[in-house]
Amino acid sequence: MVTMANEWLLLSPAAAFVLAALALFVIDAFAPEDADGGLLAAVAAVGGIAALSASGVLLLSGVAADGVELFGGQLVVDGMSLLFTFIFGSVTALVSVASVDYIRELPHKAEYYLLVTLAATGMSLLASANSLAVVFVALELSSLPSYALVAYLKRNRGSVEGALKYFLVGALSSGIMVYGISLVYAATGSLLLSDVASALGGASADYPGVLGVGLLMIVGGLAFKTASVPFHFWAPDAYEGAPAPVAAFLSSASKAAGFVVAFRVLVVGFPIGTIAGTLDWVLLFQVLAVVTMTLGNFAAATQENVKRMLAYSSIGHAGYALIGLAALTNAGGPGAEATVLGASMLHLFVYGFMNTGAFLFVALVEHWELGRTFEDYNGLGREAPVACVAMTVFVFSLAGLPVGGGFLSKYFLFAGAVGAGVPWLALVGAVNSALSLYYYSRVVKAMWIEPPAEPLGIERYPTALYAAVLTAAVVTVLLLPGLVVFDGIAFEAAASLF
Amino acid sequence: MALIYELTPAIVFLPLASFALALFFGRWMPKKGAVAGILATAGALGLSVVTLGWLLLSGEVHDQTWYTLVDAEMGVDLAFGILIDQLSAAMLVIVSLIAFLVHVFSLGYMNDEGEPGLPRYYAGLGLFTASMLAFVMADNLFMAFVFFELVGLCSYLLIGHWFTEDAPPSAAKKAFLVTRFGDYFFLVGVVGVLVTFGTAGFAGSEGFPALAESALAGETSVNTFGLSTEGWFSVLGLLVLGGVLGKSAQFPFHTWLPDAMEGPTPVSALIHAATMVAAGVYLVARMYGFYALLPTVLGIIAFVGGFTALFAATMAVVKNEIKQVLAYSTISQYGYMMLALGAGGYVAAFFHLTTHAIFKALLFLGAGSVIIAMHHEEDMWEMGGLKSEMRTTYLTFLAGSLALAGIFPFSGFWSKDEVLFETLVHALGGSPLLFGAYAMGITAVFLTGFYTIRMVMLTFHGDPRSETAEDPHSVGWNVKFPLSVLGVLAVVAGALNPVPIEMLTGAEVDFLHDYLYATPEALLTGAEHYSSLSSYGSGAIAGGEIGTMLVNAGLSFGLAVAGAGLAFGLYRGGSPARHTERLGRVQTLLMHNYYQDEYQVWLAEGFTVRLAAAADTFDQGVIDGTVNAVSSVSRSAGARIRQIQSGVVTNYAALVVLSLLALLVVFAILGGWF
Repeated sequence: MVTMANEWLLLSPAAAFVLAALALFVIDAFAPEDADGGLLAAVAAVGGIAALSASGVLLLSGVAADGVELFGGQLVVDGMSLLFTFIFGSVTALVSVASVDYIRELPHKAEYYLLVTLAATGMSLLASANSLAVVFVALELSSLPSYALVAYLKRNRGSVEGALKYFLVGALSSGIMVYGISLVYAATGSLLLSDVASALGGASADYPGVLGVGLLMIVGGLAFKTASVPFHFWAPDAYEGAPAPVAAFLSSASKAAGFVVAFRVLVVGFPIGTIAGTLDWVLLFQVLAVVTMTLGNFAAATQENVKRMLAYSSIGHAGYALIGLAALTNAGGPGAEATVLGASMLHLFVYGFMNTGAFLFVALVEHWELGRTFEDYNGLGREAPVACVAMTVFVFSLAGLPVGGGFLSKYFLFAGAVGAGVPWLALVGAVNSALSLYYYSRVVKAMWIEPPAEPLGIERYPTALYAAVLTAAVVTVLLLPGLVVFDGIAFEAAASLF
Repeated sequence: MALIYELTPAIVFLPLASFALALFFGRWMPKKGAVAGILATAGALGLSVVTLGWLLLSGEVHDQTWYTLVDAEMGVDLAFGILIDQLSAAMLVIVSLIAFLVHVFSLGYMNDEGEPGLPRYYAGLGLFTASMLAFVMADNLFMAFVFFELVGLCSYLLIGHWFTEDAPPSAAKKAFLVTRFGDYFFLVGVVGVLVTFGTAGFAGSEGFPALAESALAGETSVNTFGLSTEGWFSVLGLLVLGGVLGKSAQFPFHTWLPDAMEGPTPVSALIHAATMVAAGVYLVARMYGFYALLPTVLGIIAFVGGFTALFAATMAVVKNEIKQVLAYSTISQYGYMMLALGAGGYVAAFFHLTTHAIFKALLFLGAGSVIIAMHHEEDMWEMGGLKSEMRTTYLTFLAGSLALAGIFPFSGFWSKDEVLFETLVHALGGSPLLFGAYAMGITAVFLTGFYTIRMVMLTFHGDPRSETAEDPHSVGWNVKFPLSVLGVLAVVAGALNPVPIEMLTGAEVDFLHDYLYATPEALLTGAEHYSSLSSYGSGAIAGGEIGTMLVNAGLSFGLAVAGAGLAFGLYRGGSPARHTERLGRVQTLLMHNYYQDEYQVWLAEGFTVRLAAAADTFDQGVIDGTVNAVSSVSRSAGARIRQIQSGVVTNYAALVVLSLLALLVVFAILGGWF
């Protein structure tokens, strides 16, 4: 029996973010000119670590295995929400630590960490959101700080321009989504996902158009958050313009938040069995998945700028993760569906480390002011071998080579797609993975093989940034054998949704 | 376990140590590593003799796994182990004896002549000896394959010893490639055996011959890949036989062996008598329990053997270089061994292997002695009259030649006679196909007598035909000692198994026969077990077994004497004529070795290279073209996709809305909303 106190305890991961944000407010109010921001970063990092620890403990203790509804069903804490909060916590901690060196010389550090923790709060709420209203509010809570974070380098044209584009496309998408929510409400008479699901049968019969348009528009809003085609336009510009740690945060944590809410809204709120006649969202996601991964990978292949390449590769990975929804054809039985959805979660989990690490490496290179193109990375392997080994691990793991957890999660994903009866989707994914090896290898080639045009002249090796990069690398490698610890959790979390 | 079996691995490790010493420290060692090699092979010989002695006295065999690579529980059993039974113990003595004598002879042939690269040479000899010894004591096919390959590698290294000249590297490559071609099938066969039986062990009820026997008897079943049990086993046997034919230089893989004469002569002796070439025949004998189950394969072996015996003998008739004659005689003699194995004469085959090892080593070392004396001139027409100048060499060479020719009472007569006798008896016993093999074998006896005596006459008799032949270089003790040892053995080795004497007098003198029959039944590797497996019947002519024996012995002896006499008659006198020129176009054909090399070169250049070129064109054009097309399409598609990202935010908004509308229309139609 879950008591009232225990219910609050279940929200402790989100509370950790909130408390960290409040602490940052207080510190900023009393000591606004904290010189190096170490304390601020520490508070944010502790908040992230506390959130990941709390969610880890709750996950392992199994108290929320069946899902616990709070506030009359507005929030739900279950395996999936805890798993994703774990991701948000770890990415927040890594990004906060790495930012110490990155923004050392810049003003408004407290606001920076504050926005990070507030966005993380929004994400952890998104992971638990069980009604369309909470979904929208939490989405805005995570998005609005993100816009500001992208614009953090406010004297930098790219940063400001990227933020503005992000905000404008975001506003449009939010408008589309909230309009979609209103149509669904009109058709079903409820915002609570479970009630929406139970009212679907009647609504499909009575108002198929309203319901269909509404759901399609909600999917549009979610596609914005996950940076899926065609709502991806903001992503390359925002990631490129943003400070690299923020890009890491957005492309890993924010994207995962979009996915967790997409999983819950669609699987819980709009069971495909009931709504297939009105809007076959599995087919819709199949289209989105194929288009997203293909466009992301093809565009990444032609980039000259490493950060932009990573931005497009991040779109490509969104395409892989979409397989989790696109494979729910019910052809392989419920077990196969849980497997492929769980595999998608696992991929986002591993992605949270390897992609964050890759962007933090870019942050490191930006910190050295070496430039952003592939040529600027030439010969880096000789100057900073340890960091370059870490970057090699990241990109090869992203490509799906067996040096890190990315190999296993991709394998699970494609195998799950085959098991769920959509082998062609796995084939498209595998072809795209093969293509991705091309552009990932370019980074490795530049770092290790190409000679530098002129001496790089690296003088400082920033400790905190190195620590964050290496931690991400070690975790990525350890997840190759260590994914067994999480795969059971992910598959069970996925199975409990159906 | 007897103490001697604790020491058995040292038989391999001693030459291996001399290999390592010569390789790394040879430059600073006495005689550049020769002394270490001589001591190591002497030690190996001593241990082998003691092993053989112990086996004779106690009858205790030895079969032990030393190191397991992959456990049998994993599905296949890959291990290294030692099997000492009657066959391997005897073979160890032969190999280490020849290796020891070759090392001693090398002092005279290589050191005294001041040849370069001596440490490399002795390192090669050491590894060669060690590999062959390990191959001989291997207790399973997998291990045998590993050392079989090492033997091939060492022969490559040693044949190509004088790598700065043109011919030796080419000959070494040829030897390597041709034997490799056969070994390719062998490797497939090893994998096939492992997959079929899960083990490659030779001996005992767990060995694959025993498993094959029970599978053929229908007691157990194995995976035969859709073929009948016997059909699949025959395929396996033929695959392994590919390696055997390559190594033992049997038709059509014999072409490498004459070219291998480019190596130093002691190496030729080692290759021909005891190591490389013997390895193939030994392998068949080693897994004879498997071949004995397969009459079809035995028939093929017999026919290939008989044909090779005759085929090679015809080519030896016209050769002018002393080592070439010997090379073709080797091919021919191994043909006899294969004939014996194929015709069910297991004991006869091993008997001939033994005597041949002795007299062929003797002949090569004798030829080496002649070559030293002739300042590395090998053409017999430049020699002549050497007998008075080189007494020891002449006498021992003559003993070896008479043994090769099969003249009574030299050792070769007894063993060759037994080979032919076994073939004839089994042919009479209801296997008429063996008559063909027998006919080829018996015809080759005549040719053998002819070319052997021709070689002796041209080399040692008559008047000296060149200045060096008038005043030959003298040879030292290190040449004469091995020649003497082998010369004596070549005369008396026939006493090992003089079956005709036993038949005529009833005296129990078939020692080798009894020895090979003494293998404990449990190992299932003894001649007694093999004879129980054999499907050949026995028949007789001229009033029974003795009559058959007398007919055969008379025929083979008569033909040998006729061939020898013809050669003696033709080539005696001070300056013999080139009689083979009278053969006309036949001689041209024989001199060109039936154009075997030409067709094999054509196979390589005209066929394989063209096929490879076509494959390359396909790969470059179609495969690479597809890949390149995909990548260029990808890049141009990527570049186009890049253009969508115009950077203008109003475009983004428009695209977002338009694509949402497009989706809306499509799904509205699909869902039937309106």
